[in-house]
Amino acid sequence: MSTNETTLLELDNIGISFGGLRAVDQLNLEVKKGQVVGLIGPNGAGKTTVFNIITGVYKPTDGRVLWKGKEINGLPPYRVAERGIMRTFQTIRLFTGMSVLENVLAGKHLLTHQTWWAGLLSIPSQRREEKQLREECMEILKKLKLDDVAHEIATSLPYGIQRRVELARTLAASPELLILDEPAAGLNDNESAELNKTILDIRDSGVTILLVEHDMNVVMNVTDHIVVISFGRKIAEGSPESVRNNPDVIEAYLGKEDDEDEQEAFA
Amino acid sequence: MKQSVKQYLGAVLWIAALLVPVVASNSWISILSVFAIYAVVALSTDVVLGRAGMYDMGHAVYFGVGAYVTAILNVQYGIPILWTMPIAVVVSALVGIIFAAPIVKLRGDYLLVATIGFNEIFRMVLINDVGGVTGGPDGIFNIGAPSVFGYQINSQGGHFLVNWVLLGVVLVLMNNLEKSRLGRVFRYLKEDELAATTLGVNARYYKILAFGLGAGLAGAAGTLFASELSLVGPDSFVFMQSVTLFAIVIVGGQASIPGVLLGTVLMFVVPQVFRDLAEYRYLIFGLAMIVVMVLRPQGIWPRRSRPQ
Repeated sequence: MSTNETTLLELDNIGISFGGLRAVDQLNLEVKKGQVVGLIGPNGAGKTTVFNIITGVYKPTDGRVLWKGKEINGLPPYRVAERGIMRTFQTIRLFTGMSVLENVLAGKHLLTHQTWWAGLLSIPSQRREEKQLREECMEILKKLKLDDVAHEIATSLPYGIQRRVELARTLAASPELLILDEPAAGLNDNESAELNKTILDIRDSGVTILLVEHDMNVVMNVTDHIVVISFGRKIAEGSPESVRNNPDVIEAYLGKEDDEDEQEAFA
Repeated sequence: MKQSVKQYLGAVLWIAALLVPVVASNSWISILSVFAIYAVVALSTDVVLGRAGMYDMGHAVYFGVGAYVTAILNVQYGIPILWTMPIAVVVSALVGIIFAAPIVKLRGDYLLVATIGFNEIFRMVLINDVGGVTGGPDGIFNIGAPSVFGYQINSQGGHFLVNWVLLGVVLVLMNNLEKSRLGRVFRYLKEDELAATTLGVNARYYKILAFGLGAGLAGAAGTLFASELSLVGPDSFVFMQSVTLFAIVIVGGQASIPGVLLGTVLMFVVPQVFRDLAEYRYLIFGLAMIVVMVLRPQGIWPRRSRPQ
């Protein structure tokens, strides 16, 4: 493990309310460089809300989000992305009607230098850049075994492949922190085993990862550190082994019968 | 069909069209001359509506701003027509940017209502002769013809060529747009704004840019429109014109260059040819729009997803 002690992301006592509902409350969380951190909890615990707060989609009601020690809460999502924080979505959000390659090119947005008028005039440096972007994206597609479908319409592909396309799109952006919202949801056993390997590969390439996942096979195998939340509050944290045996965690997962509640306070 | 083949075919068609003044009758030259102007306006509407996905139902305003800028500068200050074009482009683009800045955050239908309101304000400004420069309900007369390299163009054929050169330039720009980051960003915003912003797209900037770009191109068309008719009046830039532009893009095919051109033919050329049926014009259009939307909601000639 190449974990050194630099803290990348820190949630300092964050909380958010939607009307009367306290979706996240007094949550502290730390992600160190090189770690794979898992955020788990029963349905409706507020996991996706936490991700939305980190990425600027929601503004926390209280507390601070710190990126390398600097406050980033309240920044719009595109400013958060500029800092190297990229995410996937629980409900896959690919661009409809566009090819896999065009979707992945979106990840290159911040790494592209062409001005808008250079694009309109199609000047040589712009054309060179386009060609290079495509080559770089094809490399990423190859790594994720998506090169065969590069020119297919992304949203017409099977679910498991769409998940990988969304992952490829974030990887194209060369993130420092990758936030994965249920990357294994809807995957079969083979695919989720494959995902474990992919996540570890990404980590080994120097990307820090924060993920929400229900698939314990994934969570227990890839994470270094797990934070468990229930009803918006942290109830446990630690290594995968310690969390697995924590009675509070077991109760949160098994002691309640309200698993039908798919609401993650996600608009 | 491969994209490069399509481009060559388009270029050949465009060159063939340049021969129209040699072979066709005056009425055809005139119809196709005006077609080129409306095609540019329709393509500029498509930048905002079809590509960036914003319901702009006030696009005739920018066309009108360009036409009036040219009319005023030419008639009152004697500035040659083609010299007024860059000014018309800049003024139209600025109007588009200033108008768009506070409203681009509005969601689809709300934005649409705002653009309709803006079009009405524009009409009232023109009719009431605000600033004493618009000529009120009558508009402005005796606008000159363009001169190219000191050579005054008075013939219908001359106007035709100038208009088609502009159309050619705009077609090249639109074609380039498809292959650039800007064109892709517009589509990302149209398809999923949240996903786009989490990848670093500054939605507000690009939406305002779409308005500025669409308005600027419409302004260029406005210059040639003023010169072609030698007069401008408020009637050419009313809400109904914006609705027609909107319909051209939706019926023809959003973000599809051939689709928008085809839509322009249907909405502007066909009525000119079948003058006798002019009374039934909107009846037929209304029915055609309903039929197309029910049977082919993506437009008559939709954009091919054409991954390269």
